[in-house]
Amino acid sequence: MILGVSAEQEELRASVRRFLADRAPIPVVRELMDTTDGFDPAVWRQAGDQLGLQGIAIPEEYGGSGFSFAEQAIVLEELGAALYGGPYLASAVLAAGALLASGDEAARKAYLPGIASGETIATVAFTEEDGSWEPDAVRLAAAELDAGDGWRLDGRKSFVLDGHTANLVLVVARTGAHLALFAVDAGAPGLTRTPLPTLDQTRKLARLDFESVPAVLIGTPEDGAAVLSRVLDVAAIAQGAEQLGGAQRALDMAVEYAKVRYQFGRPIGSFQAIKHRCADLLLEVESLRSAVQYAAAAVAEDSAEVPVVASLVKAYASDVYFHVAGENIQIHGGIGFTWEHDAHLYFKRAKASELFLGDASYHRERLATRIGI
Amino acid sequence: MELDLGPEIAQFRADIRAWITTHAPDGLAELADWNTLITTGGYGYGRRTAATQHEAYRQWEAELLAARLICPQWPEQFGGQGMDAVRVAVFNEELDSAGVPRVNRGMGESLVGPSVIVHGTDEQRAAFLPRIVSGEDVYCQGFSEPGTGSDLAGLQTKGVVDGDEIVITGQKLWTSGAARANKMFVLCRTDPDAEKHAGISFVLIDFTDPAVSYQPVRQMSGAAEFCEDFLDGVRAPLFNVIGGLNNGWRVAMTTLGYERGGSASTLHLGYEREFWELAQTARKRGVSADPLVRQQLAWAYSQVQLMRFSGLRTLAGLAEGRQPGPEASISKLFWSEYHKRLGEIAIGIEGTDGLIRPDGDGYPTTYWQNVFLSSRAGTIYSGTSEIQRNIIAERALKLPREPRPTANGASR
Repeated sequence: MILGVSAEQEELRASVRRFLADRAPIPVVRELMDTTDGFDPAVWRQAGDQLGLQGIAIPEEYGGSGFSFAEQAIVLEELGAALYGGPYLASAVLAAGALLASGDEAARKAYLPGIASGETIATVAFTEEDGSWEPDAVRLAAAELDAGDGWRLDGRKSFVLDGHTANLVLVVARTGAHLALFAVDAGAPGLTRTPLPTLDQTRKLARLDFESVPAVLIGTPEDGAAVLSRVLDVAAIAQGAEQLGGAQRALDMAVEYAKVRYQFGRPIGSFQAIKHRCADLLLEVESLRSAVQYAAAAVAEDSAEVPVVASLVKAYASDVYFHVAGENIQIHGGIGFTWEHDAHLYFKRAKASELFLGDASYHRERLATRIGI
Repeated sequence: MELDLGPEIAQFRADIRAWITTHAPDGLAELADWNTLITTGGYGYGRRTAATQHEAYRQWEAELLAARLICPQWPEQFGGQGMDAVRVAVFNEELDSAGVPRVNRGMGESLVGPSVIVHGTDEQRAAFLPRIVSGEDVYCQGFSEPGTGSDLAGLQTKGVVDGDEIVITGQKLWTSGAARANKMFVLCRTDPDAEKHAGISFVLIDFTDPAVSYQPVRQMSGAAEFCEDFLDGVRAPLFNVIGGLNNGWRVAMTTLGYERGGSASTLHLGYEREFWELAQTARKRGVSADPLVRQQLAWAYSQVQLMRFSGLRTLAGLAEGRQPGPEASISKLFWSEYHKRLGEIAIGIEGTDGLIRPDGDGYPTTYWQNVFLSSRAGTIYSGTSEIQRNIIAERALKLPREPRPTANGASR
């Protein structure tokens, strides 16, 4: 296992940070969060054309650049720090991960090059109205038509990340006792997509209604649960990397403000009430950074530790980001709870990313199970 | 996953593993659980101490000494082999996985040696260092006093120069290992008129001197691992003043700052073993299916793994030639606060069993009762959590220092 950040990785981080500061700074994030789609397609294309971000962890044979998840985690960290609103997590992590985890070579060849270039925006629809992240909870039914006529899907998916802007939806559906993964074209007949008003306006979710929607089976009719399980573990770590980026940025904001804000004739950062909070937050953010680096290396090496560290990271990242984002508001005082200040954007993203893919308690329970307790 | 530290370190690991296998005496590993966690209050301490009297241990000590594997991080001319932090960490890992002890020289190795190496004269180095390596001199620390806890520089113990000797009078507190020590390194005030930090000297004294007496301080856990010491005109040659008269604060700060990260990747091991003990206790008590207990256990497991991940990251940084920054303070704050919380969780898991102590004289406790009680000291000794937070905030985050109070009590 290689830990630590190489010079090349630092370079990658710097170029992603520059790109986002230039093309997707916070004022732009604020403009786009008021739109339904939540992102600028031109910037999304540039991220693919100029930096190859969408395909960074996709193997070269499928049109990606074949770096490891360690590099993708750095990209995710920067996207999280910038509150980028585009469908990166949905397309480059969830959907690309589902295709790679499926054993379906034809589907990989068909869809991954488009995802890698950014031309295809894909997502995975698995959660339903009960909001459960457990594969067992999937009810949406897949029925096979007569020989060779493919499959039809009926039911409802909810909380689908970027479900209304994706042009390819990978749907987890029930094939009797088992689950399977299906590809659905966004323009398929019988598919109704409804964008949902989100707590975190920088992260878009949709409800998808399926009424006899034609779908293409990916893999076998039985392997959906295994694919989903792998995808959700990697996604939890990816989300953790985003949370790390957001937490670090929120901490930087708080510390910066504590140095320049004077009360009682002193910078507020000289008061132990403030500096001790900041020290605790640094401890948490640094510990999270260690965990994310370890977890990213585990994914890159396809280690057997992935399920354990995925739940560990998602639980800890959820606690840490929300803690930092909350304290950031408190340390900013009055300006901290205004709409004008950016602190609330991080606060909302922190809560949204905590609740998405299962909150801290959910993942601690899974962690307990996974370590044999 | 094992950290890839490059081919040189891989070779070093193979060599040291082979050396340990060849040289560790038969039966040594079975004498004690050498590498389990020892909490303040000394749980498990007795058995380990007894094991160090065993012939196999003495033989092991001699083997390590001959191979320069005692104080191995010290430069070669002072008895070590100049091992860098990464190799020390690998050495520690390999000792742990072989189940045999690292023979260390306590504060002589971690605090006195570095001070003498950095601030001592050649004559002082020759006089003091070999005796630490050989184990002839065992040091205890004379820094804290009843009136000076976190504010160490407020110390009152007097040092008066008398000819070519210094005469030391005062009271010290929180000395661990006093009963095993024959030497003490003392901070004393040698210039009462100088500014607080300026008039202090760092002196090595004979702890067996008749002018020294000490008595144990019983802790809330019932154990008495620390002592208070009375220095009643103890004489030491001026030769034993390290770094020159009135320069002791600088010497002491070098000492305290001498943290090289060699324990980064093994710190979590004791906590990890302890965690699995607690999981077993929860099973035995029939509470391992309780959702709240499961949350607590998963939290504890996560904290231990975070120590492991951070240690590996520190080690990877050291291997790339980066000097540790505030990691030492972050690590101290992390493990001590963790252990305090773990003690609360553990006694909760013991439930009503936690109400009753084992029979016996004094105040015997169960392991978890002891963790519950003794862990309260961890966030206080070796720099309180508040002091660690100051260090982290001021050094890592560059937050402004607290204004120092002026003589009349107002701040400036």
